[in-house]
Amino acid sequence: MDLIYDFLAQVQASSSVLARWDVVLALLVGSVGGVLIGAIPGVGPAVAIAILLPATFSMDPIVGLTVLLGIYGSSMYGGSIPAILINTPGTAVNALTTYDGYPMTTRGEARRALSLAYSSSFFGGIFSVVCLIFFAPILAKIAPMFGSREIFLAALLGIILVVTAHRKHTLIAAAMACFGIWLNTIGLHSASFSKRYTFDQSWLSGGVNLIVVVLGLFALSQAFTLLHGDDEKVRLTKLKGSFFQGFRELARHPRIAGISATFGVVMGMIPGVGEFTAQFMSYTYAQKSSKRPEDFGHGSSEGLIAAETANNAVPGAAMVPLLALGIPGEALTAMMLSVFYVHNVIPGPQLFQNDMDFVVALYLALLILNVLVVAFLLVATNQLIKVVKIPNRFLGVCILVLSFVGVYSLRNSLTDCIIAAAFGIFGFIMKRMQLPVVPIVLGMVLGGIMEVKLRSAMARVKTPLDFIDRPIAAILFGMIVLVLLLHFRRVWLDYKERKTDEWQISHASTSFPAILSRRRNYILTERGKKLRAKRKTFSRRLTDKD
Amino acid sequence: MSDEITEHPDRPQRGQVLFAALFLICATLLLAAIEDQTKWLKGKDFFAQPRFWPGIGVGGMVLFTALHFWHLPRKQRRLPRWMREADWFQWAESLSWAVLAIGLSLWLGPIGAAPIVFLVAVIRVTWLYQHWTDRREAKIWASVFEWAGWFLAYVILVPLIGYLPVTIAFSLILTWRVGYRSRLMMWSAGVFAVLVVLIFKSFLQVKIPGAAIYEYLPGALRSFFILNF
Repeated sequence: MDLIYDFLAQVQASSSVLARWDVVLALLVGSVGGVLIGAIPGVGPAVAIAILLPATFSMDPIVGLTVLLGIYGSSMYGGSIPAILINTPGTAVNALTTYDGYPMTTRGEARRALSLAYSSSFFGGIFSVVCLIFFAPILAKIAPMFGSREIFLAALLGIILVVTAHRKHTLIAAAMACFGIWLNTIGLHSASFSKRYTFDQSWLSGGVNLIVVVLGLFALSQAFTLLHGDDEKVRLTKLKGSFFQGFRELARHPRIAGISATFGVVMGMIPGVGEFTAQFMSYTYAQKSSKRPEDFGHGSSEGLIAAETANNAVPGAAMVPLLALGIPGEALTAMMLSVFYVHNVIPGPQLFQNDMDFVVALYLALLILNVLVVAFLLVATNQLIKVVKIPNRFLGVCILVLSFVGVYSLRNSLTDCIIAAAFGIFGFIMKRMQLPVVPIVLGMVLGGIMEVKLRSAMARVKTPLDFIDRPIAAILFGMIVLVLLLHFRRVWLDYKERKTDEWQISHASTSFPAILSRRRNYILTERGKKLRAKRKTFSRRLTDKD
Repeated sequence: MSDEITEHPDRPQRGQVLFAALFLICATLLLAAIEDQTKWLKGKDFFAQPRFWPGIGVGGMVLFTALHFWHLPRKQRRLPRWMREADWFQWAESLSWAVLAIGLSLWLGPIGAAPIVFLVAVIRVTWLYQHWTDRREAKIWASVFEWAGWFLAYVILVPLIGYLPVTIAFSLILTWRVGYRSRLMMWSAGVFAVLVVLIFKSFLQVKIPGAAIYEYLPGALRSFFILNF
């Protein structure tokens, strides 16, 4: 009972933080803008957040973060629209929505699919925020137990999880994470006042700015990709009627919705894991526990609920490691971390202890945001789907114009723009080859955290075992070892499976000149002999009479 | 070393070898420069050394990219017939690499020569395993420099001519360049440019300097333009 009274008092105190016209405006802009950005395939929240970051630096932390959080939380709602209607995910995390959403559209159930996606997303979003508001006091008690070594180990765990999550790209993802760590070391080393990798260039003394790299890797590279590509012809289905039926249908699947949202919350809280793992686990669970597993991938409502609930439960949970430990788990929260630093609000255990109102206000903002987004979508979907028709290359022009605001307004520096353009080209190349860029950003952010925390942690460590003599440090170390063991086991199993396949399948030669050459040799030598022998067998023997 | 080109059907193969080789060469050069570009301070803890984290970063880049390069599915290029068949050529080639490596080791010392030998080996392997699709992919990478050039031209012109006029001109010209020439698209580009300037510069007051050309405007108009456009 005390807990509920405490909670209500906390909510009351935090709601005063939100009762300002600029926060309300930020909520509206964030929610509507996020849905629009999500609905346009090829833009995505990363591009929008990267562009808007410098603009939010002049705002109050709560206003700036509300805009960015709004875009982060609502883009997945918008992303489900093109995923369901035209089989193209609006954001990367909506890819699983196309599996069951588009088949429903093809059989004339587009409205049902959209309605189900909205209601599942809404449930996921609200579930995660409610969970986190209730967890906040517990987190506030656990967070102070994290000292330098625990934060170092949590950051290390985050980076290992990000790398191992890129299955089949693990090695290049690790190389990119190391690239990010190296980028972060460029410039003046504050502890020893020595220059690192500046090559005696004054423009490198200040280091490489994270926002410049993010803008290059996400916004400019996306603009280059769109400018280089072709337009796609889009045929939209006309939608008639209301979108409320999804809520009724969702109520018939409380188990799948609840478990998927729980997966989203748990996976969101672990740095480096995120939406894809949560979706994969909840989708697999839904399929295995379904009475009609064969429908999955062919327009199953349960599959759609699992995918959409899980991915929308992640944004709220992803704020936990960011706020409680100052460790971002993915690229979007890494960008948000820079907003905190600009305003001298250092996320970490102290924030939870001293500024709980701010933390709960952020969660309340996320809660209100979900309500606003669903209300907006229930009314405006018919008008909103027209944004899908914006041609790709024109979008590229728009992103290039907006990227200028992002990069140039930071320090009015031409050098920043050149660095951003260079990273834009690098990101374009990575995108063309489907290689991961997120480890670079996380390497930069987590590398900086690890450097500072390891230095301060090692000052009090005498033997290696001292590093893990505290319970949370030991648990984190155990988790790192477990993740690495599981990863190596999977690599070994993959290797064995591949070798077995290689032994089982004997490949026919695919070299056409070699086939022709062998055929010619056969005809010239072996075939002639065989034919002559055959004719000799069946032909009448010559006699003296002949 | 894997020779099966269709090992990872989920990822395009074109350009992979080229990218990995280029990245590996850059990483090796950075690793070679670590002694020159970072310091090792006496009396400081190992983990607090200024060289420790750059070492982790660059060392990891070289190690993991080399492993990635090793694991890439690739196919050896078809050498000319005389190269394939002449034993003396294979011998001469191996011998020349050995002479180069030993010569460099004697000249620069084994540690100094190691990155150069490694680089030469990477270039040789890249040449041996490159495919014609890699060269075509490299041309596509080079074509992106055009868009980067447009962006940098835009950046250079804004402080000279002004955010509003350059943004409108840039949107219109680039929309024309990418092939949209209808009246609707040109109007859309113009309106979009004006909206961006109004939202970011006039309303949000984002830090973009006033143009040099605005200095020639009369009194009140000058400060109005510098502040808002």
